[in-house]
Amino acid sequence: MHLRPILSAMLRNKTGAILVGLQIAITLAVVANAVFIIVERAQRIARPSGIDSENLFFVQSYGYGPNYDQLATVHHDLDLIRSLPGVVAASVTTGVPLSNSGAAQNYSASLDPDVEDFMVNTYFVDEQGVAAFGVKLSAGRPFTEAEVQYSGEQTSEFVPSVIITKAFGKRLFGDEPALGRTIYDALGQPATIVGVIDHMLGAWIDSDETIGDVVFLPRISWGPDVRYVVRTEPGRRDDLMMEVERKLSEADLTRAISWVRPHSYYTERSYRAHTRMIALLSVIAILMVAITALGIVGLASFHVNLRRKQIGTRRAVGARRVDILRYFMLENWLLTTGGAALGTILAFAFGQWLSTAYSLPRLEPQYVVIGVVVLWIIGQVAVYVPARRAAAIPPAIATRTV
Amino acid sequence: MFSYHLRLALKSLRRNPVIGGLMIGAIALGVGLCVTTLTVFRLMSANPIAPRNDVLYAVTLDSWGGDRPRYEDRPELPPPELTYRDAMALLESDIPTRQVAMHKSGFVLDPVHTDGAKPFLVEARMTTNDFFAMFDVPFLYGGAWNDATDAEAQMVVVLSKATNDKVFGGVNSVGRTIELGSRFGIREFTVIGVLDEWLPTPKFYDLNNGAFDRPEDVFAPLSLTPALLLGTHGNVNCWKDEPIDSFEDFAESECVWMQYWVELSTPEQVEAYRAFIDNYAREQKRLGRFERPLNNHLRKPDEWLDVNAVVQDDNRVLVGLSFMFLAVCLLNMIGLLLAKFLGAAPIVGLRRALGASRSAIFQQHLVEVGVIGLAGGAIGIGVAALGLLGVRRLYNNYDALTHLDLTMGFVALSIAVCSGILAGLYPTWRICRTAPAAQLKTQ
Repeated sequence: MHLRPILSAMLRNKTGAILVGLQIAITLAVVANAVFIIVERAQRIARPSGIDSENLFFVQSYGYGPNYDQLATVHHDLDLIRSLPGVVAASVTTGVPLSNSGAAQNYSASLDPDVEDFMVNTYFVDEQGVAAFGVKLSAGRPFTEAEVQYSGEQTSEFVPSVIITKAFGKRLFGDEPALGRTIYDALGQPATIVGVIDHMLGAWIDSDETIGDVVFLPRISWGPDVRYVVRTEPGRRDDLMMEVERKLSEADLTRAISWVRPHSYYTERSYRAHTRMIALLSVIAILMVAITALGIVGLASFHVNLRRKQIGTRRAVGARRVDILRYFMLENWLLTTGGAALGTILAFAFGQWLSTAYSLPRLEPQYVVIGVVVLWIIGQVAVYVPARRAAAIPPAIATRTV
Repeated sequence: MFSYHLRLALKSLRRNPVIGGLMIGAIALGVGLCVTTLTVFRLMSANPIAPRNDVLYAVTLDSWGGDRPRYEDRPELPPPELTYRDAMALLESDIPTRQVAMHKSGFVLDPVHTDGAKPFLVEARMTTNDFFAMFDVPFLYGGAWNDATDAEAQMVVVLSKATNDKVFGGVNSVGRTIELGSRFGIREFTVIGVLDEWLPTPKFYDLNNGAFDRPEDVFAPLSLTPALLLGTHGNVNCWKDEPIDSFEDFAESECVWMQYWVELSTPEQVEAYRAFIDNYAREQKRLGRFERPLNNHLRKPDEWLDVNAVVQDDNRVLVGLSFMFLAVCLLNMIGLLLAKFLGAAPIVGLRRALGASRSAIFQQHLVEVGVIGLAGGAIGIGVAALGLLGVRRLYNNYDALTHLDLTMGFVALSIAVCSGILAGLYPTWRICRTAPAAQLKTQ
């Protein structure tokens, strides 16, 4: 099959070819970038968190009144929660991982002011903190009960020991093992690293560089609010949430249970902007491909109708059905390829603009390649129906006058 | 003549129902998608205090220290909030017509007068009394407290409508008391006012603690913060390494957690106030604070919303993409129209030969294009309504954001008709150039 007749036919109807080509180009530019953003966001959401997210819930108690005793309340609540069947472990905590809000402190590997200090997400936990979050220690041990501090309003005093994530250890000490080393807080007070968490994500989901940096401190906050992290056996979370809320509210303490929430409440909320973007981009991408495909079908059908007589004539002078079919398929392939060539340039230009104007990551080329292949396939599928109709035109039509 | 063209247009659409449907459907989808993303974008970028945009200013001072700016990726910005000591110092100025220093806090509300009700946490805004007048806050009952109440740190409280509904069943509760507790113990507060429904979206007066959160449940004088040693429920950001072991330490620290707004009615006032805050910053520099270059700002609400990037970049990207989608829909339509019109060229040739003028042909086809645009727009509004229903599911607590109002309906129709006619111009022009003789010959 020669391309020449197809090309010269296209040149005679330049406008139609340009319109379809432009459509395909824009579709490629948008879909490649949209799918790239979708994949990037989906990967972010699917990152392993290092904690036992599905079986965790969090409780906040808020004390008030002249007789409120923070330490007594914490002990009462934790004794009660830990005694419930189905609870694996429970600890105080100051924050919720992946919640997009939390506390951060500056720590340094040295007292030397020239050594860089790092801002890191911190959690006050007790001796069950490691078990309650369900994180794995790659070295060292959890806190002991004796290490857990409560110093009322005197919160600037540092703790004697800390547990840090491997990622933060790497930031502080490079490739040297972190266990047993000393870190210093902003006031120059030292603490020994007694445990290293293999992997755990911190509070802020979009801080890609530092999200794996976390420090546990053995401490109970001053109050009057206190939060607990509770880890349950699989499948027991929802029942236990209700039971814990009821039992804690019944206790005769001057405090309000302000909320009891599963960890999924926070991940859903934090990732909502990303799930939203994924959903909306998917809709746009799918509709765009569908509209382009329908446009190809519509236009090809029209051309088939217009050229009935020529097709009949060609058939009459010896073209087989498959030649007619191939003619339209090849014509579409040429159109798609031309459009895709322009679309590739558009896609990268658009990707470049998105990454500079909106600080999105730079478009990776494989998305454009896949896009071109997909458009080829979709174009061929779309044109197949009208092309088959064209192939079915009987040669006798050539002899008829309209 | 118009009705004749209209009849012809409908007839022509019926002759090719699939092509006609495709064109109308494409326009409807394109318009629907654009209107959906535009509605979200418009409401996210709405200025809820637009009527007072020219007199209100958010005040920021660069109190940050050390060698790092507040935001490493936007070094030109000072911190968005003030330290407590700076906020207190600014309150001394008598240049502004009104001014407000405030922060977010919280109490446990103990409903002692309701049997069986459990104590619950309420979000509180500790503020000076100008808050209500400055921000056009509507009252249902009672009103704001006065300067004397601020000065004496009296235990008064303004309730949100929802809180009044919950605690007092919606009746006029002015003069009644509620029990609010925290670290300080538990105290009786007198209700001095009840707000009407008030939902500024975004929550322009405090964008750094949940820009799309609801306003607080209760409002009380800022002077109670030091009196009751209240903490903040908002974000606290500190640059200095200093021990903080008491409220006094916190109040004197370099941590920022206070929002500050002024009302300046005349340009002279604006100039005078700008000079005032710059002088204040210079004075602080002499005292060894404010280590960074002078970088104080007065920003009007619209600028404030812009600087704080309330509209996420994602929303802009979506609007851009949906207009590219519309472009594809229109290219699609141009192609189909061209094919359709040219397919009917013999009929046009016949009509021309029988004496129809070029302008009559032009008008007839334009009417046909207009009908497609109008139908597409009408269905597009439906698509947008459906789209927004879907978006509402995605945006959960953003109910207020996702209403399709009259303006957006009008926008939808105009986009549809304009783009329909724009897309129709070229095919119409092409068909008008049909030479009657050439078309008739091929018959």
